[in-house]
Amino acid sequence: MTPSPMQLDRRDFLKGCCAATLAGGSHVAVGATASTTQDTLVVVFLRGAMDALSLLSPGQGHPDRGNYEANRDNTRVPYAGTGAGLPLGGTNWQLHPRAAALKSLYTQGHLALVVGAGQMAPNPVVRSHFEAQANLETGVGGGTGSGIGWLTRHLVSANLPANVPVPAVSMGSITASSLLGSTEAITMNSGQDFRLDLGNWPWNAADNSGIAGLQGVVEVLPSLWQSSTLPLAPAGLAALDSLSLFRAINFSTYAASNTSGYQPSGGASYGGGGFGLQLQNIAQLVKHNVGLRIATVDLGGWDTHNGQGSPADSYDYFGNQVQVLNDGLNAFYTDLSTDAAGNYMKNVSVVTVSEFGRRVQENASGGTDHGYGTVMLAMGASVNGGQIYGTFPGLASDQLFEGADVAVTTDYRRVLAEALVARLGNANVGYVFPGYSGYAPLGIFQTSAVADTVFKSGFE
Amino acid sequence: MSSTTAASAAATSRRRALSLLASALGVDVSPQPAAMRRTDKVPVDTRLARLDQQSAQAATFSGPPSAIAWLNRATFGCTQADLAAFNALGGSDTARWTAWLAQQLDPASINDGACTARIASANFQSLNLTPGQLWSTFHADTANYSHRMLPVAEVECATIIRQTYSQRQLFEVMVDFWHDHFSVFGWDYDGGPMFPAFDALFRDMAPGKGVFGNFKSLLMAVCESASMMYMLDLYSSFAAGPNENYARELCELHTLGAMNYAGVVDPDPYSGVYPIPMVTAADGSSIRAMYVDDDVYNATTALTGWTISQSTWQVGSDPNPGMFEYVDALHYDKVTTTFLNRYIGANTGITAGKNIFNWLSMHPGVATFIATKLCRRLVGDNPPGSLVSSVANVFLQNYQAPNQLQLTTQAVLASSEFQNSYGLKMKRPGVAFVGALRACGADFTPVPDLDNPGYVSGQWTTTSSILWALQSAGHRPFYWPAPNGYPDTQTAWSSTGTLGLTLRMLSFVLESTQDRNVAGSPFLADVQAQTLAAIPVLANRTAANIAGLWCDRILGYRPTNVYNAAVDFMRQNALATDALDLTTDTWDSGHLSKHYTKSRLRSMVALILSSPDFLTR
Repeated sequence: MTPSPMQLDRRDFLKGCCAATLAGGSHVAVGATASTTQDTLVVVFLRGAMDALSLLSPGQGHPDRGNYEANRDNTRVPYAGTGAGLPLGGTNWQLHPRAAALKSLYTQGHLALVVGAGQMAPNPVVRSHFEAQANLETGVGGGTGSGIGWLTRHLVSANLPANVPVPAVSMGSITASSLLGSTEAITMNSGQDFRLDLGNWPWNAADNSGIAGLQGVVEVLPSLWQSSTLPLAPAGLAALDSLSLFRAINFSTYAASNTSGYQPSGGASYGGGGFGLQLQNIAQLVKHNVGLRIATVDLGGWDTHNGQGSPADSYDYFGNQVQVLNDGLNAFYTDLSTDAAGNYMKNVSVVTVSEFGRRVQENASGGTDHGYGTVMLAMGASVNGGQIYGTFPGLASDQLFEGADVAVTTDYRRVLAEALVARLGNANVGYVFPGYSGYAPLGIFQTSAVADTVFKSGFE
Repeated sequence: MSSTTAASAAATSRRRALSLLASALGVDVSPQPAAMRRTDKVPVDTRLARLDQQSAQAATFSGPPSAIAWLNRATFGCTQADLAAFNALGGSDTARWTAWLAQQLDPASINDGACTARIASANFQSLNLTPGQLWSTFHADTANYSHRMLPVAEVECATIIRQTYSQRQLFEVMVDFWHDHFSVFGWDYDGGPMFPAFDALFRDMAPGKGVFGNFKSLLMAVCESASMMYMLDLYSSFAAGPNENYARELCELHTLGAMNYAGVVDPDPYSGVYPIPMVTAADGSSIRAMYVDDDVYNATTALTGWTISQSTWQVGSDPNPGMFEYVDALHYDKVTTTFLNRYIGANTGITAGKNIFNWLSMHPGVATFIATKLCRRLVGDNPPGSLVSSVANVFLQNYQAPNQLQLTTQAVLASSEFQNSYGLKMKRPGVAFVGALRACGADFTPVPDLDNPGYVSGQWTTTSSILWALQSAGHRPFYWPAPNGYPDTQTAWSSTGTLGLTLRMLSFVLESTQDRNVAGSPFLADVQAQTLAAIPVLANRTAANIAGLWCDRILGYRPTNVYNAAVDFMRQNALATDALDLTTDTWDSGHLSKHYTKSRLRSMVALILSSPDFLTR
């Protein structure tokens, strides 16, 4: 079903890498005990500031239900009747009614939620989307430091093998800031589109010319860039490397007319939307054994200043957003957990982040303005799910940050750091998150037993 | 998880064996692609991002002659015709540049008949309508989505036409810049039908207006436009429930910038916790240097009641639908407040909001932010501080001048920092696209399906397919969803995804025809006919001459690496000096120099367009 895997020399794979070198010559001090797993971490960024109080609202009997209802009228998630939230067993929280699959994953113990999560630093707090996103993704506790993303620092310090075909992908046109500076990440909006296939057929590429020895545009292109001294040249060569790596992979969805296309397992349906297809591309790469450690994917559209809607009404904009998230994550989990080769989700973890939460008090446009504390999700077969982590700071006015927002009680880096340490085998938390010293695991992730990690096929 | 299964290992061995066998037989085997992580490259590279830390001078790279380096940043791509016109302007490059700038900074003086005629030939319906006409004709149409959105679709097509064919190239570059600065997602359900009126604000050439006019005037016109009001929810921000979306982006994106944002802090200059200094405004008065969240809230309040007639039920029967109106009953001004430590009195009505704009227009932080962005667009990702500061000074000193933005733009382009730098910017995909159309002499008049008399329902037109390629490359006009506008740094645009899909798009442009649904339709850019015309003597149609011709047209000069690759690709197994038959297009695997030669010519042009030299500016 899948095309032939990329081949690597296993001796190279086992060699590991010594201290990685940053451009400019500074050496990274990485722990001698750093070990490597073959786990994949998928970071889903809910861009625009997801209204956490609508995704996970205080349900019936929750001490803050009264405060919630007092602040939320047009955007309220009811606990009974039309559009009632989905109560999470053993708690008095409820998920948005459009998150039915997420609730199911929670019940099965594969999904955990962290309340009161957010950016404890920076100090001062910022309510600018663009600043807050950049701060979160550079992960230096405020500001953007040297412009290097936290995932880039992870890749540098994770003691990865010397050769990995595709250590990281960033789904989108523009590289996620968390991977900024990395020369090892492939950025692409869509696997299906990411190929040079629109030139005229006889001369586009050797693989469609039908003539042995013909050098098409695709084959000649690198020579233009390899010899260039322009600043853009390294980026262009990385693009050509990426295109070349993925050229043999058919990213289109399986169909009768495309039998070499990708067929998700377990009847998983990613739908036709961008978010679903990007998750499908990631799942395919996981199964394709290209050494994928990190994937980033965005779901935008959460900046609901206006007309956020309510599940109690026919107009439910936020609910539509939740549905996309729900369906995408559900398909991804189903696909990767039911493959004939085994349960890939044991070694794949998904974490969601958002730059901040939204104002507790809704506005008169039926929306919510920028806030602070939010909720993070963690999904995987190695996640200790079915639990809500963190401390909810409360919705009484004297409990709110600046009298207006949900406060932050869990630094988002605490959750991400645990994923790094427990799943990706990278103990260099202080390097990945400079200045962050408060790390202690919340127990969200089961620790990956490195010795048990089998070599995926494709690494001979 | 599975370990390598016996079956797959066996399959792998077979593939290996077959590869070896193929090699032994002399069959070319494609090399294994290089891993993204490998020992011969550093894992982190911030060189593109750090160009800022070098002076423009030191980071200048060898490239084309000065005139081309300048024109490539002040136009959508310097053509041979541009160069010829430039060379006729004076006795030295400096004199020509001065004359060229003087011309281009006065766009109304430039005859743009050909472009105007091309626009007219497209029979656009909405471009010149008033807001009221757009409202009744398109915004009111809730039944036919394509018709409702026709206005933005037409502006999109007209923009591509103007960027490609207008003689007022600097004007188009600046319209593009200010659209990015005041970014509106064109396809907003409510803003889209009103988009031509929004676009017209930038294109207004009346004194004090548009991209060469006065900043405050443009800022307020944008604020009062339906498209921006819908984009940032100001139309529904009323006393009963203010919406802070517009006020926040007014500060962060339109005026002061994040560089002048202090965060959620107490702005009291005397508290000592986060002391924010006072600075001198353009009129000599004192104003706080940076804004905090309380300024956002206070600006929000000050602007309540600024709305669009008939946009909400509260103003549902007001006159002049689609136009700005201030409604005192929806404005909140019962208490005194402040903005940047300036006092806003109670009961001041619309004056409260006007004061916000006044104070911003004379704020030195705004001057620095705008100057930084202008220099970033025209000079380099991180322009020298000295240049930013001198441009900011021009902006600030002329804050009341009707031609403030003309003078500011001129200050950037006339600077030595501009003239002495090259290679610090890349062409964004949309610029590369238009540049390719210009360099290849394309004949392209994109039109929305509804304006296309030959449109057959369900067909995928040339226009749609080109726009799709542009969208795939991440740079379709007016398609950036967030209010911060398309990025303007190489760090953002040099991703594998953007560069890869830019190369894909450029090949596609060469293969696109006037009507993709008609067999034999002429190419948008008929490079074959142009080559035959430029090299009329058969014997002169050599790979060397053909590659040279297109290097000149596309790049303005012949960088060795690009020229050599193009010659080799074009000649195949012929000599570089052998004449090629450019009129046949047939299979000949025995003689690659005769194999699909017409097609190979287009591919060679695509190859030159895919060079770092073309994508750098």
